[in-house]
Amino acid sequence: MTNRRSFLTGAALIGAGMVSRAGAASLPEAPLQPAAATAVPPPPPTGRPFNPVVTLNGWSLPWRMKDNVKEFHLVAEPVVREIAPGMFANLWGYNGQTPGPTIEVVEGDRVRIFVTNKLPENTSVHWHGQILPNGMDGVSGVTQPAIPPGKTFVYEFVAKHAGTFMYHPHADEMAQMAMGMMGFWVTHPKDPALHAVDRDFVFLLSAYDIEPGSYTPKINTMLDFNLWTFNSRAFPAIDPMVVRKGDRVRIRAGNLTMTNHPIHLHGHTFEVTGTDGGWVKPAARWPEVTTDIAVGQMRAIEFIADNPGDWAFHCHKSHHTMNAMGHDVPTMIGVDHRGVAEKINKLVPGYMVMGEKGGSMGGMQMPIPENTLPMMTGTGQYGEIEMGGMFTLLKVRENQARGNYSDPGWYKHPQGSVAREWTGELPPPSTAPNAPATKAAAPLKVKRNAPHRH
Amino acid sequence: MSALQRLKPRHAGLALLALLLSGCASFSQDGGFGVVSPAVQSRTGAETRLLRNEDDQRALGKLIADKLAQELSADDAVQIALLNNRGLQARYWELGIAEADLVQAGRLQNPGFSFKRSHGGGELEIERTFTFNLVNLITAPLAQRIEGRRFEQTKLTVAEDAIKLATETRRAYYEAVAAEQGVEYSRQIAAAADASAELAERMRKAGNWSKFDLAREQAFYAEAMAEVARAGKASTASREKLTRLMGLWGADTGFKLPQRLPELPASAAELQDVEQGALRNRLDIQAATLETQHTASSLGLNKATRFINVLELGVVRERKGEERMRGYELSLEIPLFDWGSSRVARAEAVYMQSANRLAETAVQARSEARESYLDYRSSYDVAKHYRDVVIPLRKQLSDETLLRYNGMLLSVFELLADSREQTAAVKSYIEALKDFWVAHATLEAATGTRLNNAPAAAPAPQKQAPAHDHSNHGAHQ
Repeated sequence: MTNRRSFLTGAALIGAGMVSRAGAASLPEAPLQPAAATAVPPPPPTGRPFNPVVTLNGWSLPWRMKDNVKEFHLVAEPVVREIAPGMFANLWGYNGQTPGPTIEVVEGDRVRIFVTNKLPENTSVHWHGQILPNGMDGVSGVTQPAIPPGKTFVYEFVAKHAGTFMYHPHADEMAQMAMGMMGFWVTHPKDPALHAVDRDFVFLLSAYDIEPGSYTPKINTMLDFNLWTFNSRAFPAIDPMVVRKGDRVRIRAGNLTMTNHPIHLHGHTFEVTGTDGGWVKPAARWPEVTTDIAVGQMRAIEFIADNPGDWAFHCHKSHHTMNAMGHDVPTMIGVDHRGVAEKINKLVPGYMVMGEKGGSMGGMQMPIPENTLPMMTGTGQYGEIEMGGMFTLLKVRENQARGNYSDPGWYKHPQGSVAREWTGELPPPSTAPNAPATKAAAPLKVKRNAPHRH
Repeated sequence: MSALQRLKPRHAGLALLALLLSGCASFSQDGGFGVVSPAVQSRTGAETRLLRNEDDQRALGKLIADKLAQELSADDAVQIALLNNRGLQARYWELGIAEADLVQAGRLQNPGFSFKRSHGGGELEIERTFTFNLVNLITAPLAQRIEGRRFEQTKLTVAEDAIKLATETRRAYYEAVAAEQGVEYSRQIAAAADASAELAERMRKAGNWSKFDLAREQAFYAEAMAEVARAGKASTASREKLTRLMGLWGADTGFKLPQRLPELPASAAELQDVEQGALRNRLDIQAATLETQHTASSLGLNKATRFINVLELGVVRERKGEERMRGYELSLEIPLFDWGSSRVARAEAVYMQSANRLAETAVQARSEARESYLDYRSSYDVAKHYRDVVIPLRKQLSDETLLRYNGMLLSVFELLADSREQTAAVKSYIEALKDFWVAHATLEAATGTRLNNAPAAAPAPQKQAPAHDHSNHGAHQ
C-alpha cells in the first residue's frame, strides 16, 4: 500500500536521478526542487537585471551564462506533487516539480534551453506565445521530431518580446498536460523600470481528476475534473499573496485546464494589463473585479493594493472552489430523516445524516478515503471557510516589509468593522397584497406528432 | 465345509445326535443388536436401540424431552432420529424376523402321530403312525447355516440403514440451520432496501426525486421482501424434513435450532487412503462380502455333492408386488438322469454373479469415497475462501464506501446498496459453510468413519452479525 512515507521516498529517488554534472559535462546543471513552498527568487546573479516574479508554490529556474547565451536545463520527468498536506499525486513535470520552474529572461536575451526527456514516452516543448523560428516551436511531427525517452534536445531562440508566457508539451498533450506538464515563462522588459510593479505573482491554472484513494490522475477525463488548482495546489494549501498596503501588484495567470475560469478578486478593482499576446495599451484597459481566462489564455492584472485586509481571490465557478466531491450525489436538502436515520444506522454503524440542511458539513470531522481532500475545508479566524480548489487570499498589510512574502496571519479588523449579529427588534413578516396562492405544478403534457430526429 | 462333512453318511448319525443333544437354536439376548448398535455408534457417534416395550418408549420420551429442552445439536438430532424414526424401528424388527427364521430353521419339525380307526365289512382297522421328518433332520444344519448368514446379513443391512438415516438427518440438520440463518440475512437485506425505499419516499416528498427514482428504490424493496418470503419457504421445508427424519410430531416440532452453523474447523481433515478406509469400514461392503461367501459355500457344496446329487440348493428371490422375498429352497432328488453338472455350472454362475456384485459394490464405494473426499476438501476451500478472502474484502469495501459517504463522494443510497451486497456475501458464506458441513456428513457416510474434526456437540454461542459491525465477522473467522 502506498503511503505518504513511500511517496516521499519516491520523491527522494527522483531527486537522486537528476542529470549529474559528470554525466552531462557540456550541459548546464538541471537543478531540482522537491518542496512545494513558494520560493522567492533572488535578484538575477548574471545577465541583464530584472525584477523577479514570485511563483505561487513554485520556483524559478536558475541558469548559466555561456558566450552571452542564457542556458537553462529542463528535465521532463515523473514527479510527486503534494497537492495539499495529506494528498500526493503521481504527476509528470520538470525538474522535480509540476508545474515546472518559471523561466525568467529579459527581452532580447538569447536563450538556449536543453530539454532532457526522462518520461517513458516522447515529448516536446512548445514555448507558448513566443515569437521564434518555426523549427523551435516545439510541435512534434510538425516543426521537429519528438524527443524520445532518454534523449536531450536543445532549443535556441531570442526572447523578442516582453510579456507573460508559458511552456508545455505539444506531444501527446491530452496525457501530458493531464499529468501536469507545464511551466510559466516571463520575459521581462529590457528596462526594469518599464511597467515595474512591487509584487509580481504568477501561477498556472490546472485541473486533475484523481479518484479519492488513488494517486494518479485519470488522464482521459475531458471536463469532469475533481481537483481545481493554482500551480497544482488546492486550497487551503495555496500560499496567500502577501502584499504591503499601497503596493502596485501584478498577478499573472495562465489557463491550461479544459474550461474557462472567471478569476475574481475581492476588495479591489484591477485592470487587465497583459495577455500572452503582449501588454494592453493603457487606453484599452477596463476596470474589472473578475476576469475570465479562457482555455490556453494568459492574463496579467494590475492594481494598487490600497485596501488592507484578507481578500478572497478565486475562480468564480463555484464548483472550482471545491475539492473532490461526488458529482452524482442526490440533493438531500429538506429530506426528513427522522426514524429512517436510526434504521440506516443499525445497518451501517458510523452513518451520519448529511446534506439534509445543505451541502455544508458544519465542521463535522469524519474519516474520508486515503489520499483525498475534504470537499471544502480551511478554517479562518471566524470559523469554517468552506472552500477548496482555486481559492486563496490576497493579504494586504500596512507594515509588510518590501520583499517579505511571509504570511502575516489573520487580519486584525478595526473595532466595529466586522459584520455582526443584529440583536434589535425585527419587523413583523409581511406578504405582498393580493399574492396568488401557490399551485402544485402538473406534469407537463407534450403532444408529439412525429418522432424526434437527432 | 463343515456342513458338507456332517452330511457324509458316516457322520450323519453323529450330526443327528449332536443336533438332538444341542436341542434347538435359541433366541439371542440382544436380538442381533449386539452387532448393530456398536456398528452404528462407531460410525454415527450416537447409540441406537430397538424399542421393545412401554418402558423403552417412556425412556425415549424422556430422552427426547431432555434434548429438545435445549438448543438441538447435530448429534442430538442424529440421536433422536436413530431412536425415534419409526421407519428405522420397523426395519429393526426385521432383525427379529430373521432371527426367528434362524431359530425356526434350527428346530426339528415336530414328530407326527396319527391314529386311524376304520371299520367296514366287520373289520376293524386301527392304524397308528409315528412320523418323523428325516429329511428335515438332514437339512436342518444346512438351513440353520443359511439362516445364520442371512441373519448376519440382515444385521449389516439394518445397521447400514440406520447409518444412512443418521447421515440424512445430519445433512437435513445443517440445511435447516443454514436456511434459518438465510432467513435472517434476507431480512437484513430487506431492511436495507426498506430504509432506501423509505428515504426515497421522503426525497420524493421534499421534491428532490422523481417518481422514477422512487419506483426504482421501491422495486428493490419489493423484491427483497419476496426474497424473505422465499427464504422462509425454504426454511420451513428443510425444518420439516428434519422433523420427519427425527420422527417428531405435535409439541415436539417446536425444537430450537442454533442461530449459526458450527464454525469452519481450523483445518480440513486429512485422510490418507480414503478408498482403503471405505473398503474396511463400509457395511454395504461387509454385507456383499458375506453374500459372496455364502454363495461360495453353496458352490463348494454343489461341487462336493454332484455325484450323490441329493441336494439342490437355490437362492430364491421373488418379487410379489412391492414386497421382495428372499430365501432359499432345499430339495432332495434322486440322481437318475442328471449327474449334477448343470447344477454346479449354475452355482458357479451364481457365485460369479455375486463376486462381481461385490466387486461392483467395492468400485462404487471407492468412487464414492474419492468423490466425497474431494467434495469435502473443495467445500472446505470454498468456505475458507469466503471467510478469509471474500468477507474481509466486502468488509473493506463497506468501510471504503462509508469513507466515501463521509467525504460526500457517494450518497446514502450507495451506502445502503453496499449494505445489501455485503449481507448477500455473508449469505453466500453461510451457503458455503453449509455445503462444507453437508460434505462432511457425506464423507463420513462414504468412508464409514467419523472425522476427528467434527463440530462440537453444542456449538459455541456466536454473536449476531449485523452487516457492518467491525467485530462480528470475527464470528466467522
